[in-house]
Amino acid sequence: MLMRVRTVARNLCGLLYLICRHPSALIGLVILVAYVVMALFAPVLAPYPPNTGSVRQSFLPPAWQEGGSPAHLLGTDHVGRDILSRIIYGARVSLWVGVLSVAISMVVGLVLGAISGYYRGIIDDVLSRFAELLMAFPFLLFAIGVMAILGPGFFNLIAALTFKSWVEFFRLVRGETISEKTKEYVEAARAQGQSNFRIVTGEILPNIIHSVVVLATLRVGYMIITEASLSFLGIGVQPGVPAWGSMVDDGRDYVRTAWWVSTMPGLALLLLVLAINLFGEGLRDILDPRLKVD
Amino acid sequence: MRGLRVLERILSTIPIVFGVAVIVFCVMRFTPGDPIDVMMGREGHVSQEQIDALRREFGLDKPIHVQLYMFLSRAVRGDLGNSLTKHRPVSALIRERLPATVELALGALVFSLVLAIPIGVISAVRQYSFVDRASMAAAFFGISMPAFWLGIISIIVFSVRLGILPSYGRLPYGLEPARVTGLYVLDSVLTGNVSSLVAALRHLLLPSVTLGAPMAAIVARVMRSSMLEVLRQDYVMLARAKGLTEWAVITRHALVNALIPTVTVVGVQTGVLLGGNMIVETIFSWPGIGRLAVDAIFNRDYPLVQGVVMVYALTFVLANLAVDILYTYINPKINL
Amino acid sequence: MGRRNLFVWFVIMLAMLAGGIISGCAKKAEPPPSDQLRTLSFTIDCENYNKAVAEAVAQQLRELGVDVQVRVWGDWAVLKEALLNKEREMLVNDWGNSTLDPYDLLNPKFETGGRGNYAHYSNPRVDDLLKRGATGTDEAERERIYKEVQEILYDDAPWVFGYAMQEIEASRKTVQNWVPATDSRINLHRVSLTEGDTLVVGIRATIESLDPANHRNRIAETVIRNMFDGLVTRTPDGKVVPEIAESWEAISPTLWEFKIRKGITFHNGEPLTADDVKFTFDRIITEGGLGNGKSSPRKAGLLDPVTEVEKVDDYTVRFHLSAPWPIILQMLVHQQIVPKDYVERVGSEEFAKKPIGAGPFKFVEGKLDERVVMERYDGYYGGSPDIPGAGPARIKRAIFEVIPETSTRVAALQSGQAHIIQSVPPELVPELDKDPNCEVKTVEGTRVYFLEMNVTRPPFDDVRVRQAMNYAIDWDLIIEKVLGGYATRLNGPLLPHGFARHTGLSPYPFDPDRARQLLREAGYRTE
Repeated sequence: MLMRVRTVARNLCGLLYLICRHPSALIGLVILVAYVVMALFAPVLAPYPPNTGSVRQSFLPPAWQEGGSPAHLLGTDHVGRDILSRIIYGARVSLWVGVLSVAISMVVGLVLGAISGYYRGIIDDVLSRFAELLMAFPFLLFAIGVMAILGPGFFNLIAALTFKSWVEFFRLVRGETISEKTKEYVEAARAQGQSNFRIVTGEILPNIIHSVVVLATLRVGYMIITEASLSFLGIGVQPGVPAWGSMVDDGRDYVRTAWWVSTMPGLALLLLVLAINLFGEGLRDILDPRLKVD
Repeated sequence: MRGLRVLERILSTIPIVFGVAVIVFCVMRFTPGDPIDVMMGREGHVSQEQIDALRREFGLDKPIHVQLYMFLSRAVRGDLGNSLTKHRPVSALIRERLPATVELALGALVFSLVLAIPIGVISAVRQYSFVDRASMAAAFFGISMPAFWLGIISIIVFSVRLGILPSYGRLPYGLEPARVTGLYVLDSVLTGNVSSLVAALRHLLLPSVTLGAPMAAIVARVMRSSMLEVLRQDYVMLARAKGLTEWAVITRHALVNALIPTVTVVGVQTGVLLGGNMIVETIFSWPGIGRLAVDAIFNRDYPLVQGVVMVYALTFVLANLAVDILYTYINPKINL
Repeated sequence: MGRRNLFVWFVIMLAMLAGGIISGCAKKAEPPPSDQLRTLSFTIDCENYNKAVAEAVAQQLRELGVDVQVRVWGDWAVLKEALLNKEREMLVNDWGNSTLDPYDLLNPKFETGGRGNYAHYSNPRVDDLLKRGATGTDEAERERIYKEVQEILYDDAPWVFGYAMQEIEASRKTVQNWVPATDSRINLHRVSLTEGDTLVVGIRATIESLDPANHRNRIAETVIRNMFDGLVTRTPDGKVVPEIAESWEAISPTLWEFKIRKGITFHNGEPLTADDVKFTFDRIITEGGLGNGKSSPRKAGLLDPVTEVEKVDDYTVRFHLSAPWPIILQMLVHQQIVPKDYVERVGSEEFAKKPIGAGPFKFVEGKLDERVVMERYDGYYGGSPDIPGAGPARIKRAIFEVIPETSTRVAALQSGQAHIIQSVPPELVPELDKDPNCEVKTVEGTRVYFLEMNVTRPPFDDVRVRQAMNYAIDWDLIIEKVLGGYATRLNGPLLPHGFARHTGLSPYPFDPDRARQLLREAGYRTE
């Protein structure tokens, strides 16, 4: 057991070293860490709580504009809340939604994909057809529909996002398992009389986990955008919970008079997704060089 | 032999479409909230008898499996029922809105291909040049950009600040060309209506760019990498050795082969494009089926939701089918 | 054992009662010390279109130290169910009152078990007054009754009284003699144009039907009203005046007689008589009156008490009522007279496709979701003599164009393709103000906005908390910042220009100190 831990730790250190030598992955990682810190320490970092403010103070422009005040660096929204503070708190929503929904999808996809790819047969047929069926729905439309049924709220949001996105992982894991299964090391393990469970978890999984991790990283960005899109349509988390998408939506009626209300949270969102994608693609270059886009 | 495989592939889409219909039907029935309540609005003034009458009229009083059977048997004949909130046949509503969505999707497609393919080619040919790095950075932004934000920013910049492009709708009122296909750009060309053409293109520009940006980014990246791959191949070397100009080598030999992966990506991205059109249609008040879908879901308009989702799923399935079939002709080695 | 047990129970009950009385007195005598104060915490429900107001309200309450959440419901049906189960706390809501009579606002909203009573307010005195108000016949008496109701509601505060939105409409400068009507209908009879003779109205939604007896929709009524006249009509500022009826008389509280104007003809030239009037109302109040087993949707809530319409002679009809119904005249505005012979000959369906009425314009062609075109009817009797400008219509052709998209409608007006448009959103008003060819016109609307508090459960079962809410919200600021200034503050549930509105009450002032004090008395912590 200890040996395992040590190996994993050594691998992680090695990975970190490789990331540091990959400039775009490093930039992505640094920004990402900054966002995580921001989310974790939001109450300390944010100048105000996310929901305080006064209607009297509404539509203050950012500090550098005429009429702006250094007390509200990025200005205030239509009910006078500090936009910077809400962006900082909003990082919590986005990161949580992104990580949690991908983690769940990954686990479901991994289990079902491995079963499907390893055993084939009727289970594989059923699961694959079902996956194909789900693929025929546009993701956003599907999520909107699920949210309409469940109603807004954090966990409903996670459910809506994972309902379909496990399929991506399923397809990847299934495909990889099928191709790994015929390789010599699996044959060898089988010849040694190892159980199917051991073969899948001990032999096949470590060999395909790289591509799963890469896919997971890239999907986090996509999930965050989808969550923001749902919030933008008014069916994400509840108002009061500062989500970037609903902040952009709030400002939509006022783009003629107060451009910053929509612009600022969108910028925060863009930067985060950019960082995740930079990091994810860097990770892919390192872990999965055969997919490298040169 | 190939014909048979194609036929088989076509037939395999039928259960998917059927499954989609059943799933949508069931999911809508699990939704809380009574559609009749929604129809009657908030102030009521209606008696229980009237509610029951409406229920009968829309078949909502029958058991679920009977409703499902009714829905499917009519759908096969192209009758998707009547909208609960708009009091009109669903098929008519979709037919009315579809051209707007098709026009927007084509606009986005044309925008992304026209922009992305040359960029991908140039980036590959001049690898690591300034153009390459700048356009790949831009492409990276493109895939990370939330569509709703890009749309709003472009409205702020081009409509509100600069005032040079319209921010909503398909055409100013009264400029509609005579209807031939329902696609305004095409119709104004066909009827020779120049002022309509200009107006339609101006209206189409921002929504198309917003919708097409992520696709353009992805296509540019794929184009670049497959072009790089192809340029390393022997036959390209050979063509160069024969003394052909670089231009001829690229266009005649490399480009055609490098386009194959792009075709796949375009097919897959059609689905993503459709998924994004709800957002873009909402932002730009574009009267297409994306907004119809969102409204229908919020209004519990069962028949309309079923109809619109069917259209989406069908388009998606057909796009994939088209790619697969195209593939067998481009690259006969592919097994369907 | 029985008796001893009973005694123990009795003592316990007594102790509890004493404790309750003592603690009750203590509560009244002085607020509990601050370390025993609780934080007031609740959720405000709303639908998406009221979200900005809900958030602004929440913001102001948070400044007082109240812990408020806003919950936006995607779907009215689900929210309604929760409201009826008395599960919710505070709701941002609104209610239409186009008759301008308290009858169809106070009764449904405040009567015990009223169909729109989401505050679950129940007060026997109010119930009694409302019943008397609904069936009373003496105007002055009704006014007195409703004023008393308003006073009770003011103190009881089951609502945080809010505001009435104004209707914002706009026209080209070439349109003369047009003002928006308070009930938001657009009547073109007296409107003229300085250029051209075709007037286009941009309306915001599909027209439900062109049969006056087969819709439940204000937009349909707007269009229909230009082709059909009623027994009575309403002036733009909401007064009822004669139209097809020349005069009327209440013979008894349950029997009304109407004299019909002579010389009125339908668009097909046939004269309008008492037969047509009787037929019109029979079609609505009879089960299956529209033919093919279909009943009219225009009875419930609009004509309930009418049991029979009797023809006395060719130009006199009598309405028999099941109970006194003082607002019969306001309600009759919403029913238009149809030609008996024609409808009987062609049937309801054909009639809706080619409607014939006795109004200022006759139907030319139309598709309900695109446009309806009508032309001046030269044989028109001239309309109500009580509104200036009676006579045939001034314009030759009127077109109602369906333009649901707000910004498209505004653009249509600006480009001159439409002459009048409905429902301009406040944020687009500045743009139209800049346009020298357009004019924005506003009128008091008929919809009131308010916060309903569930009086059956904490925290709003305590009248002090409800009053504190009324003092805590600065509506003037919300109207200015969030509603663009296009709203009017209310002193109670009734519209500013409605019947029997209490003018002696001034709106709850914005007084955060008073609100804090009330909240502390009720046992809540404030900031």
